[in-house]
Amino acid sequence: MKNISKWLDFRHIRTRLTVVILSLVAVQQIASLVPLKISINQHSYKIAENQLAVGERVYENLLQQNSSAYQQSAKVLASDYAFREAVATNDIGTIQSALLSYQERIHAEVAYYVSDDGGTLAHTATTKEASQKINLDLVREQYTSGKLRFDIIDGKPFQLIAVPVKAPIVIGWIVLGFQLDQSVANQIKQLTNLDVTFVQKTSSNDWKIVGGTLSADGAHELVDSMNPMVSEQDAIHQKTIENDSFHIKLRKLYEDKKGEQLFVVLQESVTKYVQELNTLFLTLLVLTLAGISLLASVIWVTTKKMVKPISELTENVTEMTKGNYSQELTIDRRDELGQLGRLFNEMREAIQERTNRIHRLAFHDELTGLYNSLSFMQGVNAAIHSHAPLNHAFSIVVLNVNRFKPVNNLLGRDFGDDLLRHVGQVLKENIFSPSDIVARLDADEFAVLLQHSGEEKASAFVANVLKIFHEPVFVQDQPIDVRTGIGVAVYPSHGLDEESLLNHAETAQLESKSKKLDFVVYDQSLEVDESENLTMITDLKEAIAKNQLLLFIQPKIDIVTGEAIGGEALIRWKHPVKGMVFPDQFIPFAEQTGVISDITNWMLVRACQVLHEYKQRGIKISIAVNLSTRDLNNFQLPHQLSLLLSKYHLDAKSLKLEITEGSLMQDPERAQAVVRKLADMGFHLAIDDFGTGYSSLAYLRQLPVQELKIDRSFVMFMDKNSGDASIVKSTIDLAHNLGLRVVAEGIENQDVLTHLGLLGCDEGQGYFIGKPLSEDDFSLWLSDWHTKHSATAATYDLPPTHLSHLGKQFANFSHSKPN
Amino acid sequence: MKKISAIFAIILFGIQAFLRAEAAELVFEVKDASGKPLPETVIAIFDGKAPAETTSGTAKIIQKNKQFNPGVAVVQTGAAINFPNEDSVRHHVYSFSPAKKFEIKLYSGVATNPIVFDKAGVVSLGCNIHDSMVGFIYVVDTPYFAKTDANGKAVINVPAGNLVYQVWPAGRLKFAIEQNLKVDSSEVVKVNLP
Repeated sequence: MKNISKWLDFRHIRTRLTVVILSLVAVQQIASLVPLKISINQHSYKIAENQLAVGERVYENLLQQNSSAYQQSAKVLASDYAFREAVATNDIGTIQSALLSYQERIHAEVAYYVSDDGGTLAHTATTKEASQKINLDLVREQYTSGKLRFDIIDGKPFQLIAVPVKAPIVIGWIVLGFQLDQSVANQIKQLTNLDVTFVQKTSSNDWKIVGGTLSADGAHELVDSMNPMVSEQDAIHQKTIENDSFHIKLRKLYEDKKGEQLFVVLQESVTKYVQELNTLFLTLLVLTLAGISLLASVIWVTTKKMVKPISELTENVTEMTKGNYSQELTIDRRDELGQLGRLFNEMREAIQERTNRIHRLAFHDELTGLYNSLSFMQGVNAAIHSHAPLNHAFSIVVLNVNRFKPVNNLLGRDFGDDLLRHVGQVLKENIFSPSDIVARLDADEFAVLLQHSGEEKASAFVANVLKIFHEPVFVQDQPIDVRTGIGVAVYPSHGLDEESLLNHAETAQLESKSKKLDFVVYDQSLEVDESENLTMITDLKEAIAKNQLLLFIQPKIDIVTGEAIGGEALIRWKHPVKGMVFPDQFIPFAEQTGVISDITNWMLVRACQVLHEYKQRGIKISIAVNLSTRDLNNFQLPHQLSLLLSKYHLDAKSLKLEITEGSLMQDPERAQAVVRKLADMGFHLAIDDFGTGYSSLAYLRQLPVQELKIDRSFVMFMDKNSGDASIVKSTIDLAHNLGLRVVAEGIENQDVLTHLGLLGCDEGQGYFIGKPLSEDDFSLWLSDWHTKHSATAATYDLPPTHLSHLGKQFANFSHSKPN
Repeated sequence: MKKISAIFAIILFGIQAFLRAEAAELVFEVKDASGKPLPETVIAIFDGKAPAETTSGTAKIIQKNKQFNPGVAVVQTGAAINFPNEDSVRHHVYSFSPAKKFEIKLYSGVATNPIVFDKAGVVSLGCNIHDSMVGFIYVVDTPYFAKTDANGKAVINVPAGNLVYQVWPAGRLKFAIEQNLKVDSSEVVKVNLP
């Protein structure tokens, strides 16, 4: 059933073809059958009409024959000598009895003898009316003309036959009356197949059936339609009587002066002819339908052959939509469909290839060939399902390659890619079983799933990896240090679902990174409790109010001149309970909650106070203050700053503002607007932690900044790691090309400082120069450095050009030295 | 009887001779409606007197070739007529006419007795065997009568005076014309039947 309805759908070529062809044939057949049907109807009417005409003649003949026969037998009586004698002798009694016996012999209903001079001398009629009926002129006329003569006697139709009585001339007439009754009608019907009805119109204009072959109901119907038919007597009328269609002819038999009329109604049933011809027509129709059915089957079979390849294609494409591309099409044809099939095959293969590739892309990291985060999560999920019933542990190790972005930016994307591949390779080589999963989650973040491994096994894995990264790795024949943050989370103790496991491993990784630990196994304590956060915020607000915050300054020198030029303002929190709290522990929360604005404000005020103090002492230094994302989105900041400057009579140049790439990214338009305003006010702007963010130098170029601070992670080991050195060198070169000053952070030994000097780095900052110091200690450091510097400045192993340049700087420094 | 008849005839002849001076000869010319001379038409003339004598002569109507010959005969009342059969077949001559009803059953040759027509009127003659045989005998109560010839002419000698004549076309059971006629001398009477 479903199949049938499927094929009945007009969208199918096969159905359409079949229907169109069949319609054409059907229309053609109908076009021939309809006229046939019409002509059959006409023909049947014609037959009926002919039959009616024939019937009418037969009927007339029959009556005529009857009439002749009656006449002949009447003549016998008329010429009977005894009868004539009785007539001649006017023997009424004898005449009457002779008529009576004769009437019975020939089955007439009434008999008269009329003398030739008109008087009825004898009759067998039983009523007075009947006895006076005979009109001699009509009698004579009937005899001489031989025509049929009718009359109504006693309300009944009669055919009258007259013969003369001769002695030997005509002396009188015998008139015989034969009733036109049922039997006459039946007789006619038997011969002609016509229905015969004798209808009388009485003097009171009523129609009355006086005999016939119709049933009572039929006769009734006929009577009802007499009036209209009589008005057109000669026509052939068509009437339906008792559900039978008739052709009808009327013949007036008699009419008298009183208006009485007698009609014979001849009816020919058309139905039987129509039926006969209809049977013929039906046969034709059946044959036509059979022909059409045969044609339909032929078309169906033929089109099936034609459409089969299309159906196959359809099925195949249906398979493809389900994702099954493996089934090859086999259409062994040379026509267009075959070509289509071949093209389909090519398309199928191409799609299969693409699908595989998309699949690879979806679940693999194209760069390293490792799994991607999506498939890693699936793997973790699968691992949960396989480990949970066994109550086994498995571990997730998340490894982040530190400082990857600048490596990528400065040593080239190819180099970065190779580095990542290398890291992935190292991880892959150290897994314990083939079912362990190594994936790259993000740009520089990898994850490893170690099946059936607890904390110990995971630690062993991490140790193996770290052992390899302990030595610089060679990428493109260049040694480079790989610094990593590694976090470990173990199922089920550190999480029951993949999401929490990965999050916890990442938390541990961040911890490892920030604490500079080789690796960290996740622990509940790593999570900063929300409630603790809230407490901290409250405490922080209190700290600002109660002046628990301390300003520390990390010194900064001009690398070229070696002269101290100021420092970076840093914050310390002397918590009444927890003791000294480092900014890493509260600045992120402060940023999240907005308290950072208060902190920045506090810092700016304090920095300005310090600057004011040194200005009054005649020492020219600058202090850099870090601005957060919120600060950069604060349109009030420039105004606030200008208030501060005027309050402490400071020049905008003495206050350096450090912004990170990330802080600019939050709401770039807003941030840029604020930054531009600040620059317009004459502030010195610096990009902090350059290399850890994702902005390009090209972007930074659009900003009105004057300085770039290279993140310490690149600087710290640049003496040991040529890759780092390359990054620093490139950064410096690029920054100089853009007209920016470069500050290096994290200078921890002389070699690095010397190297930076050789690379042309402008300023330096780091433990080798000075740790973050309290205001008092900074003041001490300033004088110490000045002393120490004067002694060591000459020991710089600088190229001659630099040296001469240095000399100038020293001279400047001396000049600027306050008294 | 024959003698008596002969005597009567002589007497009659004498009277006729006596009246001759006052006699006239009437010539009737009878034509039908279309103006054609009508033969075989009987004309009888009445003078208003009882006939002086009745003819006792015997006439005959022969049946030959299945026909009455003559087909139309005129006789004075009382005349006897013989019906000799000259055919080889037999005939059955009859009449149902009120003037003379008779039959001569199947016979050949001359029937035994002649039929006497003693009553004026038209007698239709038929043969019961041969329906086609029709004949008429006009029996008139007057001695003045005649039958037109092939030219429709008849000549009758009548006494002068006021007369009535009747014209009976052949086959008619009633006269077609009855007319008064004053006769002074011989004349031609033209009769046109309506």
